[in-house]
Amino acid sequence: MPDQASEQVSDEVPDQVSDEVPDQASGPVSGVPGDVPDRTAGEVPDRRVNAVDGAPEAAPSAVRVEGLWKRFGTQVAVAGVDLTLPTGKFIGLVGPNGAGKTTTLSMITGLLRPDQGRIEVAGHDVWKDPAQVKARIGVLPEGLRLFERLSGGELLSYTGRLRGLPGEEVDRRAAQLLEVLDLSGARHKLVVDYSTGMRKKIGLAAALLHNPQVLFLDEPFEGVDPVSAQSIRGVLERYTASGATVVFSSHVMELVESLCDWVAVMAAGRIRAQGPLSEVRGAAGSLQDAFLELVGAHGRDAGEALDWLGGGAR
Amino acid sequence: MTASAPATAPAAGPATAPASGPATAPSLMSVFVRLKLSLLTNGLRQSTGRTAAFVASAVLALLVAAGQLIGLALLRGTASAASLTVLLIAVVALGWAFLPLFFPSGDETLDPTRLVMLPLRPGPMVASLLVASLLGIGPLFTLCLVTGAALAVAHGAAGAAAAVVAVPLALLVCVALARAVAAANIRLLTSRKGRDLAVLSGLVIAVGVQLVSFAVQRLGQAGGLAALDPAAAVLRWIPPASALGAVDSASSGAYGAAAVQLALSAGALAGLLYGWQRSLTRLMTAPDGSTLAAASEPTRRDRPTGLHRMLPGGRTGTVMQRSLRYVWRDPKTKMAWVSALVVGLIVPLFNALQGTGSIYFACFASGMLGVQMYNQFGQDTSAFWMVAQTIASPRDAFCELRARALALLLITLPYTVLVTAATAAVLGDWRALPEALGIALGLLGALMATGAVASARFPYSIPQDSAYKNVAPGQGGLAWISIFGGMIASAVLCSPLIALTIWLNAASADSAIWVLLPLGAGYGALLVWGGLRLAAPQTAARLPEILAAVSKG
Repeated sequence: MPDQASEQVSDEVPDQVSDEVPDQASGPVSGVPGDVPDRTAGEVPDRRVNAVDGAPEAAPSAVRVEGLWKRFGTQVAVAGVDLTLPTGKFIGLVGPNGAGKTTTLSMITGLLRPDQGRIEVAGHDVWKDPAQVKARIGVLPEGLRLFERLSGGELLSYTGRLRGLPGEEVDRRAAQLLEVLDLSGARHKLVVDYSTGMRKKIGLAAALLHNPQVLFLDEPFEGVDPVSAQSIRGVLERYTASGATVVFSSHVMELVESLCDWVAVMAAGRIRAQGPLSEVRGAAGSLQDAFLELVGAHGRDAGEALDWLGGGAR
Repeated sequence: MTASAPATAPAAGPATAPASGPATAPSLMSVFVRLKLSLLTNGLRQSTGRTAAFVASAVLALLVAAGQLIGLALLRGTASAASLTVLLIAVVALGWAFLPLFFPSGDETLDPTRLVMLPLRPGPMVASLLVASLLGIGPLFTLCLVTGAALAVAHGAAGAAAAVVAVPLALLVCVALARAVAAANIRLLTSRKGRDLAVLSGLVIAVGVQLVSFAVQRLGQAGGLAALDPAAAVLRWIPPASALGAVDSASSGAYGAAAVQLALSAGALAGLLYGWQRSLTRLMTAPDGSTLAAASEPTRRDRPTGLHRMLPGGRTGTVMQRSLRYVWRDPKTKMAWVSALVVGLIVPLFNALQGTGSIYFACFASGMLGVQMYNQFGQDTSAFWMVAQTIASPRDAFCELRARALALLLITLPYTVLVTAATAAVLGDWRALPEALGIALGLLGALMATGAVASARFPYSIPQDSAYKNVAPGQGGLAWISIFGGMIASAVLCSPLIALTIWLNAASADSAIWVLLPLGAGYGALLVWGGLRLAAPQTAARLPEILAAVSKG
């Protein structure tokens, strides 16, 4: 298995700054102050390497996406996404339902073939060099099943061995993950009998088992009770503290605000803003306000439309 | 329609929304019919390949149906026409009762669990669902058969009049039978524990198939079609065959008998609808069986099975272990396996016991089991993403497929040998054992090879949430074509082996015939290897496409 520290160095030097300005022409971005990233001093360690060839410190960005498109029939799900996510951050991908978050994450993790565009994870092209990428990422997709007729313990043992880890190591890691995620009592239960929170937790454990560099989580807190959410949170915070990267999607702004230090806002298949949390939030009081402004949903009211609603019988 | 009554009420009130459409809601029946049509077209719209597969299977079904219709019409006037038609309708009804439970149907409109939250009365709902169920290839196929049967036996004005009533009646009984049986079984099939029992229905099919083949063999024997007469004499009073019996009775002037037979069919229809309605009401008002079961689900013991230790290490052993666990624990997989094992055993042995069989029938066992290699990734459902995440090269894909093939062989290989030997023992035909076993193993290898390739090229979803469906809506044609295409390809692959067997037998080269056993086994192994080699790069290159195909429904 790749060790995280040893993989940080790569010969690829990203020219970050030129890619950083999101959505050059599209309107809503200009309304947000602090649109130009790169201001928070010390936030981004790899920021200084701008076109310095062969700089030994040049850590590749965790994820680099260029001109990503995906259409389903006539519907455009992802319309030209450019995204550069720094290494070692807790990154939130936020957006309303249908914004294309799941589609984007699926394409980044190699589960969905893009129509167009280039994706690099940890310096390796996802579609040209899948072996390098798949060994370095962990995924918890939304809306896909697990092997639910295995018990929680068996699922971890299966996943770890499929990843090529030695058996004893898999069992050791699995036992610890089950313990930390409070699943030890349910390890012999079939996953099909798990609750939503337990499913998310066992999925997270399976994604972490091979100690990936970058972890992609699609709606990890959706339908999860507060206790489970807290244990998921604890594991993730500890994981990023060691220098790994977490990318997760959500539409719960309070959660993203409290967890993330880097945010990308998505709406209608495009990135509306990306950068450190403080910059995306800008002058707006909260991420929620900044978000609503970005996606252009402020001041929308039902008005006259629902005048029949309420007030007794129909 | 009672359900539309409340919907008209708001019109009487102070309506402030004049633009909200017509005053009366559309009838429930038209809603369901449109829903069914939308589901059919939406299923097709998702991919052009699937549309092609659907159209091809529809054309094929209709061609067969047309052939049957013409064939039946040609029977008109022959002595055994009446017996044959009655039997045919009885067999078709039997098929309607059981096939939707096990084979591709993909009819979402009849899944009552989706309708639970709607304020529908059971009566109108049953009527609407019944009408919606009449849309599709299956009912059209049946309509052709029943019409052909009626054409074959109807004579004179009375016969024609009876036929006009009998044809729709027989069709309705068939459709209602399918729905009533499915609804009665859904509780059983959706509860976690009950699904284990559902495999027993696999036995029903196995026995049903056996009865049909038995009947066909009786036909082939001395008595000819006349041998059918005793069975037909009983069946002509059993709905829905009694509807066709009525046409025959009316044609020969037995108006009283005709009336009774028609009444029997009509009564059966009413009874089925009543039973269906009761099951629906019970399903929609009682808590879901899976909820009750999950609450009290015991945890499993961590038993270190001996099997676990005997498997090889690495990816191979891991995948084999998972596949074998799924054979036992996943109800859909288990159902497929139990039916294959039982049918594979019953067909050659029963035939041998009747003294009509041949040792080559043992190939049926390897055929039934080899088909399990098809749609490997569909059996994973969308959990395939976990596999896809660990396949980064054709080598990984090869290991994955090889492990699945090995898991399959762990059961099929001894089973094939056992069934072939048992058949030889019953027939006392030990001389032919080597060649039969050689052909069976060759066929097994060919099916597994084509199955591996079909798994990579033609994956389809096996919906897990509904016991009604084995294929996602719109993918049924794809599933059938992949399996039948694979069977034809396997037959072609096996033809050199079969040709050699025939040649050796024709040349009476008795001393050389044992060569066929190692030759067949070697050839089968070679085919499996070749199939895996061919399928691996395609699997590795098509991971997102396979995931998309197996995640539908």
